[in-house]
Amino acid sequence: MKETKHDKISNFPSYLRDWIKTFRGKATIICLIGLGIIPFITNNSYIIGIFNTFMIYTIFAASWDFLAGYVGQVSFGHAIFLGIAGYTTAFSTRYLGSPWWIALLLGACFAVGFSLIVGVPALRLKGPYLALGTLAMSLILYQLFLMGSLGILWENAFPGTELFGTDGIGQVPPISDIPIVQYVAIFLIMCASMLIFTHLVKSKTGTIFKAIRDDETGTSASGINTTKYKILAFLISGFFAGIAGGLYALRFSGVNPGVFQPLYSFYAIIMAAVGGIASISGAALGAFIFVFLGEILRLLGDIPQLAVFGGFVEPIFIFSILLILIIRFAEQGVLKPMLERLQNMWDLLLGR
Amino acid sequence: MGVLLEVKNLTKKYSGLTAVNDFSFEVKRGEFTGLIGPNGAGKTTLFNLISGFEKPSSGTIRFDGRDITGMKPHKIVNLGIARTFQLVRSFKFMSLLDNISVSCLSPRGKRLAKEYGIDESASSILAAVGLIDKARIPPIILPHGDLRKLQIGKALGTNPQLLLLDEPFSGLSHEEQKGITELIIKLHADGVTVFMTGHVLRELMHLVPRAIAMHQGKYITEGPPEEVAKNKIVLEAYLGKGSEKLA
Repeated sequence: MKETKHDKISNFPSYLRDWIKTFRGKATIICLIGLGIIPFITNNSYIIGIFNTFMIYTIFAASWDFLAGYVGQVSFGHAIFLGIAGYTTAFSTRYLGSPWWIALLLGACFAVGFSLIVGVPALRLKGPYLALGTLAMSLILYQLFLMGSLGILWENAFPGTELFGTDGIGQVPPISDIPIVQYVAIFLIMCASMLIFTHLVKSKTGTIFKAIRDDETGTSASGINTTKYKILAFLISGFFAGIAGGLYALRFSGVNPGVFQPLYSFYAIIMAAVGGIASISGAALGAFIFVFLGEILRLLGDIPQLAVFGGFVEPIFIFSILLILIIRFAEQGVLKPMLERLQNMWDLLLGR
Repeated sequence: MGVLLEVKNLTKKYSGLTAVNDFSFEVKRGEFTGLIGPNGAGKTTLFNLISGFEKPSSGTIRFDGRDITGMKPHKIVNLGIARTFQLVRSFKFMSLLDNISVSCLSPRGKRLAKEYGIDESASSILAAVGLIDKARIPPIILPHGDLRKLQIGKALGTNPQLLLLDEPFSGLSHEEQKGITELIIKLHADGVTVFMTGHVLRELMHLVPRAIAMHQGKYITEGPPEEVAKNKIVLEAYLGKGSEKLA
């Protein structure tokens, strides 16, 4: 065991060097550099805000895609983790005065706890039943956090704090009052999350995850405790969806029960499917398309002359159509074909 | 030669159907045994019971002196019983090397792979089953014979003491059958106890020194395959009543 570990360390730089040599590696590095310098070339808070949302959704979409695309556990209730962590982070920064990073970790831990509550019974469910079960659980939480009567009970028990009710928790302080600091913090957290996911799916544990996805019975016939690995996958996915939820609360200065809505679970699925299921960088591209196309549609909706078409430029309307087109005509998402085209163009430019 | 697998009074009932009926037999360490019986005799159900994929209605299964009745499949694999399936199973979108690696990553497989590393162990198993030149391709594009070899390779990754092969020849051409036969003989020579099923008597006849006959879930007889083939009930099961006159 010791020897293999040593091998891995000595192999690591060459593995990284090989990756950078590929077109995909270069493209990723260029995109990351571009993303990293954005707050230094503009101080337009609107643009910085959109990029923040994009990076948070990237983590969220990747956490869903990791569970569905690599482990084969399709959840339709991923909003549970987003919401629980969002609420925990918002509550602890607003009422307990925690620093943002402690609140963020606490939120992720709560999401991990809920991924156990959701994951353990859900492991008895397979395929569409798992999807339905998780969907139902997210609806239960949505309804609970919406309940005014619970809100009154809570306020009586803990005066001065609000948890349940339609308003949610507002006035959450941001990561930093300086937008650049907040941006860089989110950027680094996103990079770390993506790196962990990428490493995980390429590791030996990732091999077991993919085996469970391809044939669960066959995996147990290979002597693998599939229950253990499925729970592990739920915990990992819950943790990162929780990180996304905490960042969401910090970036939007609050949360309301709406984050538990199936719509948010659906967002994760749209982003992952558009980018390409079972592709971590695909989730990033999907989130990018989702956030920016969504923003363009929102701007179009604000044009008075287009008011007649109001309903047609609703993001969810367009995205649902897009999703149907993607799963019908481009099952592998847009990342892979796009990279191939770009690489062909690049090779052509270099005269190869 | 001690007893490796001991099955006693094993019964599996589904509603209205008894697939395995009060079945008892033993397999000794290092033996090479065949389980014969026509289609629907209950051979696969018996394998599912031994490997933990189904729970018996009654009876006990002991492996290496240990009661394994009703244990989870992965636990049984890690005690040293590996199986293959009649309908081939594989991790369709993963390379052959990764297909084998999964078995090498099981607790029992890891102990074997510790010395050389997972990839090296998986490669040596691929070489042993004759698929090393296809290590990087996924099983979806493999011919049926190679998939059967892959199945055996996946079982070997867990370092089994007892190998259960469920119809390893079904759907194979004559050439492919020869390759698998050679592989099984080699594994047995390396010290693996082999217990395999087959519904075509001829295939097993030349291979195993001892055969157990099964019909409608019941134990019929056992012994050298030529003798088992002369048994009246076995003949009836395969050829229908009155066929002993033909034989």
